[in-house]
Amino acid sequence: MQGLEMPSPEWIALAVVQALIMIGLAPLATGFSRVLRAKMHSRKGPGILQDYRDIRKLLRRQDIRPNPSGIIFKVMPMILMSSILLVAMALPTVTNSSPFPIAGDVITDIYLFAIFRFFFALSGLDSGSVYAGVGSGRELTLGVLVEPILMLSIFTMALTAGTFDLGYISTYMATESWSVPGAVLLAGAACAFAVFIEMGKLPFDCAEAEQELQEGPITEYSGSGLAMVKLALGLKQLVVAQLFLAIFVPFGKAVELTLGALSVAAVILFIKLFVVFLIAGVIENSVARTRFLKTHHLTWVGFGIAVLGFVFYLIGL
Amino acid sequence: MMSLDFLLLAILLYIAAAVTSLLCYKQESLAIKLTGGIGALAGLAGIAASLPILLSGEVIVKQLYSPFIFSDFIIRLDGLSAFMLMVISLLVVATAIYSISYMKEYLGKGAWAMGFFMNSFIASMVVLVVCDNAFYFIVFFEMMSLASYFLVLCEQSEKAVKAGLQYFLMAHAGSVLIMIAFYILYRETGSLNFADFANAELTSFQASSVFLLAFFGFGAKAGIITLHGWLPQAHPAAPSHASAMMSGVMVKIGVFGIIKVSIDFLGAEIAWWGYLVLAFGCVSSVLGVLYALAEHDIKRLLAYHTVENVGIILIGVGIAMIGMSNEMPVLAALGMLGALYHLLNHAVFKGLLFLGAGSVIYRIHTKDMDKMGGLAKLMPLTAFAFLIGTLAISALPPLNGFVSEWFIYQSLLTMSKEGGMAMKVAAPIAVVMLAITGALACMCFVKVFGVCFTGAARSKQATKATEVPMTMVFGTASLAILCIVLGVGAPWIAPVISGVASALVDTQTITVTQGIALIPSEPSQAILSTPIIAITLLALLIVPMAILSFFKGPKMPSRNAGDPWACGYVYEEKMSVSAGGFTQPLRSMFAPLYTMRKILDPAPWLKKFLQALTTGASLLEPQIDNKIISPLVRFVKWIGKSIQWFQYGDFRAYCLYIVVALLVLLFVPFNLGVN
Repeated sequence: MQGLEMPSPEWIALAVVQALIMIGLAPLATGFSRVLRAKMHSRKGPGILQDYRDIRKLLRRQDIRPNPSGIIFKVMPMILMSSILLVAMALPTVTNSSPFPIAGDVITDIYLFAIFRFFFALSGLDSGSVYAGVGSGRELTLGVLVEPILMLSIFTMALTAGTFDLGYISTYMATESWSVPGAVLLAGAACAFAVFIEMGKLPFDCAEAEQELQEGPITEYSGSGLAMVKLALGLKQLVVAQLFLAIFVPFGKAVELTLGALSVAAVILFIKLFVVFLIAGVIENSVARTRFLKTHHLTWVGFGIAVLGFVFYLIGL
Repeated sequence: MMSLDFLLLAILLYIAAAVTSLLCYKQESLAIKLTGGIGALAGLAGIAASLPILLSGEVIVKQLYSPFIFSDFIIRLDGLSAFMLMVISLLVVATAIYSISYMKEYLGKGAWAMGFFMNSFIASMVVLVVCDNAFYFIVFFEMMSLASYFLVLCEQSEKAVKAGLQYFLMAHAGSVLIMIAFYILYRETGSLNFADFANAELTSFQASSVFLLAFFGFGAKAGIITLHGWLPQAHPAAPSHASAMMSGVMVKIGVFGIIKVSIDFLGAEIAWWGYLVLAFGCVSSVLGVLYALAEHDIKRLLAYHTVENVGIILIGVGIAMIGMSNEMPVLAALGMLGALYHLLNHAVFKGLLFLGAGSVIYRIHTKDMDKMGGLAKLMPLTAFAFLIGTLAISALPPLNGFVSEWFIYQSLLTMSKEGGMAMKVAAPIAVVMLAITGALACMCFVKVFGVCFTGAARSKQATKATEVPMTMVFGTASLAILCIVLGVGAPWIAPVISGVASALVDTQTITVTQGIALIPSEPSQAILSTPIIAITLLALLIVPMAILSFFKGPKMPSRNAGDPWACGYVYEEKMSVSAGGFTQPLRSMFAPLYTMRKILDPAPWLKKFLQALTTGASLLEPQIDNKIISPLVRFVKWIGKSIQWFQYGDFRAYCLYIVVALLVLLFVPFNLGVN
């Protein structure tokens, strides 16, 4: 493997463009989930573009914050956006290597998600609302339960590829024959499980009803602030889904940086994302919500799969 | 040689500060100002002494006069000791200036004595890290423990005395083990000098015994799990700037000792040592942060986080030792780099957090987080510095805590990738532990900052707080800036620490930078550029701002209005979530690990042992009285009574006695042979 270097201007441009396109598509992804949910509930439901309309409307509304809230509550949406955009820039979405390898280290990305979670939860406490506060605690607890699964499954992949760099892991998976296919599949299953939780779906999270404790931290947001948070949460769903795709399903990427190759890769990526959101939506709508205090029973299963994946790696299956 | 002069200057200044504080016992406010000022100067001198050594990598050894023939007083300034000196001095500058205002809390409560103990505590630590002789090491180690013991006692409450006693017991149980370890080394080498210890030829049984004794001895000081019981009691009892020094630096002396003995003296020859250190590191980090989560006393919480961070440092040390014993120099250097970097970082951010907590306590006089709340609006500077500290300790990029943990993660990947079966299995366990620790720390510090500084005020005092004096703001702000510098400036700082780490594990300096990016020696494994991440994160803020301004519309400006939603009831400040409620789900999920706390803590046993000792002594005491002393007393009385008839008060009888006495005396010299 070649050493990693600072990206050239073209690559940086690609990174920025892909991040911006992802913001643009985030409401489409969440809107798609809503349509799917309506279909499965056998009701008419909103159109696929409803989230665009919602966000546009909210953006033009006044931002009213509760009295106890302070500066953290005010800046949180910005920080969410900035941290998740940086991860979006680093993802090898349409190319095999990461367009922004400086942030393309898996460890860095996982800790960038931590920035997201830190401020998201902190804003809940800052609002002074009891529901938001309890919701923050739950959000972070869920993070504690997910983190080991995500880390171990990705670490197994880092070991098989011999690097922490997302781009190189992606390239390895796409171009070389897998030395330990069993381990890859199990790690993939565990990672998918973690990513599913991170996307904020049932049975762990109920994104539809905002006053639910799980959506707690944003209970008190309104107007343009709420719009930004919604956008950032949608973007996060897209980004974690693509993190999974970049590591485990890295096929059909552009080999060179030409417009034609990139757009073909983008179409393939779009299809992959469609499938991911379809599966996630179907699972989400066919399960009931778990009792929060029992969540760890479920996540232990995920962790077990991740451990099994690593054991498979050790014995070379 | 300039370094030695500065070192001497620093030590003299610490002594001067201590003595000044004693002399000014009648004018305490003057004592506070003088000791603070002189202490800060001493810290600057310490930085001046260590910086050239760190940058050049040279080693200065000098023998000074020793009053004892059995031990030489040798000063050795090498990479590690200069590094420790730097850590101590950086924190001293901030805490000394901070103390100028903070100590006003203790006016009339023996502030002058605290100034004395504080400076002698620091001075002994400074000498401890540079001295190269076991005897003096022990002497200064004891001095350090004693001085800090008095700092723990300074509140003079029953709780503080209890905490002090437990600390005293643990510290001395530890130093006994260390003395035995040094004694074994002394017996084999016939010298007390560390330089000879390093060349000792020990059998593997002896070496392992020395390692275990030193690991648990120094581990008691470092607060590894099971030996950590004193930390959450001693830190809250001490004044905040002293807890900052104790937590930021003194526990690191324990880590320093472990590194010194197991790597410097023994060369980490045997593989299981490293695994043991790694295992203790992992368990300490997870349990430390888990117990921290359950606390609502801010200083106890921070004390538990010290256990966590010492665990993370020990993970790095363990990796380095495994690397050395398996002859993987790059791995050893990487692990050590992570450990030392984290040691420095933890000193900075934990110092910052303790000082910040001190600022809050200074204003609202409680350590209970549930009585704080909403302080960010009233103490904005302190709150901002504290926020940076919480971000750094939660290892969020691009701050310093992240950089050191990143190196540890990288070394774990290297270890798993290139090592044998044991390493392959150990590394992912450590990775998972680190990941859980990271997530838990994140949660814990959201709780700390959220409950203390944001939301609604939870008590009357909290509504009346104001920003603390400028010297205290300087203390926290300077450390906050240091957190950013050590994080964003990592590409320039990591090579220096890498030099120290490589020298320590006896290999050539590994390359850890590439331009303005950090690499874990091998550039294909990963790359991280904290300055670029910082810039990008800031630059990306433009995107949400652009969206907001593009869709501005004809709306009114944003404002704060109305109470938070309370499900239809009238909102009250008390409704906001408490420190306990915030972590309740987690505590119920990890309940078994919390019950372990009581089982694992050796403090109750130690206390029981002490109790047995005192009851034994009190049982023994009357026995001695009854069997020896009382008969003796009775015998004397009996003699007195029997010779009473001598003096029945007749004047003539007394005259007779005198004559008899004279006669006897006349004959005595003759009999003795005197003419």
